[in-house]
Order: sequence, then structure tokens, then C-alpha cells
Amino acid sequence: MEGQAKPTRRSKVTGLQDAARLARGALEERPELCLGGLFKQSRPVALVRALLAAGADGLHVYSSPGAGYDVDLMIAAGAVAQVFIPGVTLENRLCPNFRRAVEAGQVTAHALDALTVVGGLMASAHGVPFQPIDALRGSDVLKHNPLLHEIDCPFSGRRIHAVGPIRPRVTFLHAQEADRWGNLRHLSTMVYADQLMARASDMVIASVDRIVPDEVVLDDPSRVTVPSYYVDAVVEVPYGAHPTASFPNYAMDEDHIDAYADLGDAARTGDSTGLDTYIARHVTGPKNQSDYIEAVGGAGYFAVLEAEARNE
Amino acid sequence: MSAAVSPIEQMVVVLARDLADGELGAAGAAALVPMAAIALARELHAPNLTVGGEMFFNPEPGRLYPSMLDDRALGRCEAAETFIELFGHSHHGLDFFFHSGLQHDVYGNINLHHVGGTLHAPKMRGPGAANLSYCHTSSRYYICPTVHTARNFVETVDFITIPGHLSGPSAKRDAGLVNEGPRLVVTPRAVMDFDKTTLRMRLKSVHAGNTPEEVQRHTGFDLAIRGEVPQTRPPTEEELRVLRERIDTSGALRA
Repeated sequence: MEGQAKPTRRSKVTGLQDAARLARGALEERPELCLGGLFKQSRPVALVRALLAAGADGLHVYSSPGAGYDVDLMIAAGAVAQVFIPGVTLENRLCPNFRRAVEAGQVTAHALDALTVVGGLMASAHGVPFQPIDALRGSDVLKHNPLLHEIDCPFSGRRIHAVGPIRPRVTFLHAQEADRWGNLRHLSTMVYADQLMARASDMVIASVDRIVPDEVVLDDPSRVTVPSYYVDAVVEVPYGAHPTASFPNYAMDEDHIDAYADLGDAARTGDSTGLDTYIARHVTGPKNQSDYIEAVGGAGYFAVLEAEARNE
Repeated sequence: MSAAVSPIEQMVVVLARDLADGELGAAGAAALVPMAAIALARELHAPNLTVGGEMFFNPEPGRLYPSMLDDRALGRCEAAETFIELFGHSHHGLDFFFHSGLQHDVYGNINLHHVGGTLHAPKMRGPGAANLSYCHTSSRYYICPTVHTARNFVETVDFITIPGHLSGPSAKRDAGLVNEGPRLVVTPRAVMDFDKTTLRMRLKSVHAGNTPEEVQRHTGFDLAIRGEVPQTRPPTEEELRVLRERIDTSGALRA
């Protein structure tokens, strides 16, 4: 053999614990964490659990404009200082730990709206100092929103709003597929703000239901939703969005979220034993995703969620 | 029709009748009643009504879902956008939108943030709201909570999340709210609209099985009842048949 061996391209595939350690180190520099998906769809919950197990705290949490279970769980685990998410709800009921912690003054929940969050991410992604907003009037949210400034429009002279860049230190995303280089493929109908967050953030870590061969990406490049250039690490995590959905692969686990919320409501009214047990069983206890899958109910249990995603 | 009309079905029918052919609108967060109304309008008189502005266009769900933030609730849809398009819709506006909250007041202002206390020291913290822009940039909106009590219909809300008519015409003008704003308030008990001069809410009609006195008793402010209050026009045979056979096949509106 003569000459040098061809240099090899570095795979971005990593493990859940390594990804959590990477995120935790970055968040210690600046605690701004952003979560992809929306409400009960495509939330990077396995990454959130791994981060909680790694012991993050004092987080400033951002998201697409609506979040529920994962943010509530992070608050239950004592990891959150401030919430910058316009809507925090389980949709069919309130978020119990969010509510308790905000009412007790332990967590600051800012009053925001979707345009502020999306506009801030756009400003960051586009590298401009602010995004103008000309569609907010009359709400008390405008009096309290810490990210907005009123400005004079330089063209019309009208008073409008400006939001500065929102630049998450770390963004967690969940997609259905990626190749080993970190090219993400969202196969769900809705992609929400994931593409925007990827471009707005310092560091992006994605969980995927499966890693696919390079050819899958190369054969259909327009199907790539987030190019690997924006992605720092990718983790293959079966059911990594559970108990939220990863359509078309599995549906949201409404029963699991409801049972969790019952425990949260009990903790809110004074009995936290159930919630403590839940966190030990699902967050700090499992050593890996296989343990978690067993703790939730095993393969048969998840087969039901897969069938529900197919509307069976 | 065999089974009695449910109060929620009556709400859907009232809302559907007010949506016009060719309009663009979206359902908002609590989507069950609005999506049923939109679907009924499209089936009966508004085939060119476009559902859009919330990232998905013209979804074709096989049944009704409580939330549209569920790929199954979209079924097949004609197009899927992302939050990147939110600014375009917010700035162009829609024809109609739907809102409901923890509290609604006499001017149609809606509170989703806190009841009692202050924003950062609330007695009860609510969910907040994702999209405020459509209360201003949608030509009009409907308020359609599925409960109607003196606790969620109060004289003045503790926090204005979604502005209605603020404290009347001059406040609304000063805030730059130039569109119609809330047009109708449709609940399981009655339909309310707003006095053109004062922009205060008033009782328009009561659904079958309710009296104006009962509705007033379940409302935390004066509904300005003057003389006879008509009964809400019940669903026609056709409205009810289409609603049950083609839209609400799982009976969600009768649950």
C-alpha cells in the first residue's frame, strides 16, 4: 500500500447518555434549552428524560409555541427556572406541576405569544438583530412580554413590535428518521418549528425512531427536513417521543399522560409519593431506553400505540 | 331525527350558519366544536370555504377529534405548512377564528393566563395561549366555550389574553383593534352578540330547554335582556342528518 488512507467522514450517531452529557455541559454555559415538536406530537422526551437523569437544573425552556407533558415533567424534576412558552397545557387538562410551581413562585412563566417565539427564532436563524411584528394589539400579554420592544416603523412611522433573536444553547428535536450524518427526515404530516429551531440554535441534538442507510437520504433529498449541517448529534431511540406521538410510527399515549397528570394533581394538593415513584420509575431509574420500554409496559404495550397511529 | 339535539350540536349548527362560502378560517386550540361547524358549513352551503392558517389546509378527518394537533385528526390534508408561515397568515389575516378561555367578560375579552392574584403570583395559573395575532388580524372571531356559568362569564376578566372589544369602542380604537373582533358568543345555553353602540354583550337567543332568566342566572354580568328573547333556531332535519351521518360519525358532540 502506498499513500495515505482516504480520510473518513465522522458519524454523528451517539448514545442517549452521551447526548445528555453533551447537552448538560453546554447548558451549564447558558441554560437556554429548546424543544421541538408541539404539545403531544414529536417531542424529544427520551432526550429530556436523559438530561433530567444527568442532573440539569436552572433551565430556561423554550419550545414551539405549545408544550405540555415534557415541560411539566422537567418542572416536576426541579430542573426549570423559567418558561418561555406561550401555551403550556395537556390540552384536555392543565399541566399540574407547571401550575403548582408557578403558583408557588418557584418557576417564572413568562406571558408570550406565538409570533414572539417564532419571530425570535427567525431573527436568530436569519442573523438579523430583530424581527418586526405588526399583528399584536390589545392583549395584556404585550404589557408583560419580556422579549418584545415597541418601535417606530422606519417606513410608515407606525408603532409596531420587535423581538430580538432567540438563540437556544441546545435544541432537542425528534424526527422519524436520520442517516448517520444527521440528515433528518420528518415523516409526520406536521413538522411544526423544528426546521426553524435547528437553524436558530447553537447545538442541535436529535432523537430518531431509526437510523436509515445513506441511500434512503440520497434517493430523495427533498424529503430531508433538516440537513445534517445543522445537527450536532443524532441518537436512535425506539419510541423516543413516548408518551408523545411520532406519527406515522406511533400515536400519543393519552392514558400514560393522564395517569401522570393524576399523580401531578395529587402532588399539587399535598401527596407527592405517586409522583416521586413515577420519576424514579421512568426518569432516574431506567438505565437505557429498553429499561424504559419495560417500565412503561413492554413491546406489546407499544404495539397498541403503533396500531393507533395507523388508525386501526 | 331520533335522538334529541344535544346542546353542543346546537352550538355547532349556530356557528356553521354564520360561516360563508369562499372564506378562509381556522379552528383554534379547542377544535372539536369549531371543526364540526366548519365541516357542516362546507357540506351544506360553503363548499369553497378554506381551512387554513394553522399550518394545515383542508384536512379530511374521518371523525371529529378534540384537538387538531394530531396527525390523525388531519387525516389526509391538502397541504402542510410549518411555523415559518405563521407570520404570513398573521399579517394577511383570516376571515374567521374561534377562541374560548377560563374567563370571558361582558366585552368579549378572554382570559387564559390566571384567575386571582397577578401574572407572577397567580392564585390559579392557566395555560396561556399560543396565537394572539388572529384576534386582531382575523376579520372576526367566535367565542364558543362548552360550559357557561357565572364563574367563566364574569364582568371583568383578571387578565386579557385575547382582546375582545376591550372596554368599548374608544378603548378598542386606541389599541388599534380595527377589525370586527368577537361577533357571536355561542354556549351550550344560548347565543349572545354585542350591542353595536356600547359593544357590551347581550342575550340574542336561548337554546331549546333554557329560559332567559336561567341564562342570566348563570352569567356574572347583566345580559341586557329587554322584552321577549327568541329561541335559537333549532337544527333542521338536514343539518342534523348531515352533521350526524357525515361529520360526527363517532357521536363526539352527543357525549
